[in-house]
Amino acid sequence: MTDTAHYKELFRQALLIRRVEEKIIDVYPSDNIQSPVHLSIGQEAVSVGLCAALDPGDMIYGSYRGHALYIACGGDLTQMFAELMGRVGGISKGKAGSMHLSFPAKGLMGASAVVATQLPHAVGSALAAKHRKTGQAIVCVFGDGALEEGVAHESFNFAALNSLPVLFLCENNRLAVHSHQRDRQSFSVEGLATLYGFPFRKVSEGWDLLKVEAECRVALDAVRRGDGPQFLEITTFRSREHVGIGDDLDQGYRSRAEFDHWQARDPLVQNAALAEALLPEIDAEIDAAFAKADASPTPGIEHLLTDVV
Amino acid sequence: MNSAAQVATSTEITSYSSALWEVMDRAMRTNPNVLLLGQGVDDFKGIFGSTTGLAEAYGRERVMDMPLMEEGMTGIAVGAALNGVYPILSHIRSDFVLLSANQIINLIAKYKYMFGGLFSLPLMIRTVVGRSWGQGAQHSQSLQSLFAHIPGLTVVMPSSAETILDTYPYLIEQHRAPVITLEHRMLYSLDFEVNRDAVAAVKDPLSSRLVRSGKDVTIVATSIMVLEARRAANWLLEHAGISVEIIDLHCLTNIDREMILASVAKTGRLLVLDTSWVGFGVAAEVCRIVAEHDPGALKVPVKTIGMAPAPCPTAKALEDLYYPNLATVVDAAARLVRGAGHGVELPHERTMSDIYKKFRGPF
Repeated sequence: MTDTAHYKELFRQALLIRRVEEKIIDVYPSDNIQSPVHLSIGQEAVSVGLCAALDPGDMIYGSYRGHALYIACGGDLTQMFAELMGRVGGISKGKAGSMHLSFPAKGLMGASAVVATQLPHAVGSALAAKHRKTGQAIVCVFGDGALEEGVAHESFNFAALNSLPVLFLCENNRLAVHSHQRDRQSFSVEGLATLYGFPFRKVSEGWDLLKVEAECRVALDAVRRGDGPQFLEITTFRSREHVGIGDDLDQGYRSRAEFDHWQARDPLVQNAALAEALLPEIDAEIDAAFAKADASPTPGIEHLLTDVV
Repeated sequence: MNSAAQVATSTEITSYSSALWEVMDRAMRTNPNVLLLGQGVDDFKGIFGSTTGLAEAYGRERVMDMPLMEEGMTGIAVGAALNGVYPILSHIRSDFVLLSANQIINLIAKYKYMFGGLFSLPLMIRTVVGRSWGQGAQHSQSLQSLFAHIPGLTVVMPSSAETILDTYPYLIEQHRAPVITLEHRMLYSLDFEVNRDAVAAVKDPLSSRLVRSGKDVTIVATSIMVLEARRAANWLLEHAGISVEIIDLHCLTNIDREMILASVAKTGRLLVLDTSWVGFGVAAEVCRIVAEHDPGALKVPVKTIGMAPAPCPTAKALEDLYYPNLATVVDAAARLVRGAGHGVELPHERTMSDIYKKFRGPF
């Protein structure tokens, strides 16, 4: 399985995401990127597997930890770097920054920096898809923390009540900033999903590109068949601090052993030979995109009051 | 201005709620991707008559009763708008909109700007401002300044059936941006003269409206306070020969500054009437505009009238003191023109709500 062209393409995308974020880490001390970055390192396979299973016309809603989703759905790297640097050439002309990456041409309809706000957005797009009979599947990607917000209940209830074509994908890294899920939730994710009657599937191997893709495909097929909302929990691991470029494994709120556990399974680490083979081309692509973005001008007063209403 | 002959041939009587029903029906009829969403939009009361029968006419898939989920349904409107639907949300009290403030302020107001113009959110959130019959602290708030304060929102307060008919179709069919309307509960049952020619002739539906020309004092007002301004103007003209000019702000996020400044330059006197508290609100904003651009035009300091600076009490005796009445308005305008000892006879109404008798509660 892991020697097929398809696997290599998924692997390449995951590696591209990681190298883009490592580029951000390299550049960050220069202050060329003045935007809070929530890195996806360790979680790349979730976005890559999901996007591999999507059809054209489908819609995705994500969160502020959104670099991986943007790149996995085909987002342009030059526009992304320019956005992070606050340049006119950014996808949102420098008004979005790292936390609000979107790519409507490929269905990424926004990313919010207020936890769980994207859940009703996905449900609303699913309502529109059902009303307009578009055949779209709508996907909402959110972290485990979103499940504690009241609007999650409102969104799940309405989606279930109206049997809407939506996949709820919980990208579970078990952390809300520095607080562990066990200290925040009195319920199990499966128990909650089941409460609304959602078919529930779980991938514990969130590093496994092919397994994530396969499970997303199963869930999306059900959505497209008209089976109503589906719930997929994918366990993953956030390697870096909540926000910023640092490694905070020694700050006492989680263990290095857990990091080691995931590193031992991370294909980008374990399949070093494939990574080595792909790196020259990937790094050249990243460097070229970064240089091009860095040449983009900063916005001026003429941009300040455009697109307000 | 229409000639008397035109008015005579084309004026009809329409209530505020009938006008709302007409524009809702038109929206449903002309665009199959309009959805009405809200608690009770499909029931027999139909948001005080403004959606009655639409569920039967267009189906409950399009006129959807919603669970009690203000934030959720507002977020659903965002997602629906991003996928080709024009959602119209209804809240039977504007107080309940505070539960959806997160979506309105953090998402809806910012979705276009934050993504650099990649998205727009054409949608409408209708809210009803309560008053009288003991609505109390949580069913009476008039939160226009809260929303008008946030860049990105279009905030409209229709003062008549005609302003609903000449504005809502434009908002729904052409505006392509998020709108919040504040409709006054006491206006719902009132009948208004509607001139269909004037409705069709409005060129800028969101502009402020010069509703009465005068030379002695300018009254800038919102919503039901426009009606109070008209009644006060009639009284002042009849009892004291004082000539009042009235401007209906209509769309709070598109105030016609030049109209206000020209009026104040003419009269030299400004009274602002709002349905809410005056501090940090519409009254403060109108005064800011004059203070920043032409303070020298004022012959005397401005006056502002709104609700008393407290939560709304329920006892009718206190409620009557809490809201301004016709005497309050007449007295303020007369003081501006003739000073404290103006000698103008004041009306004896204790409360506006006794005048707008048609609203007899309970909600």
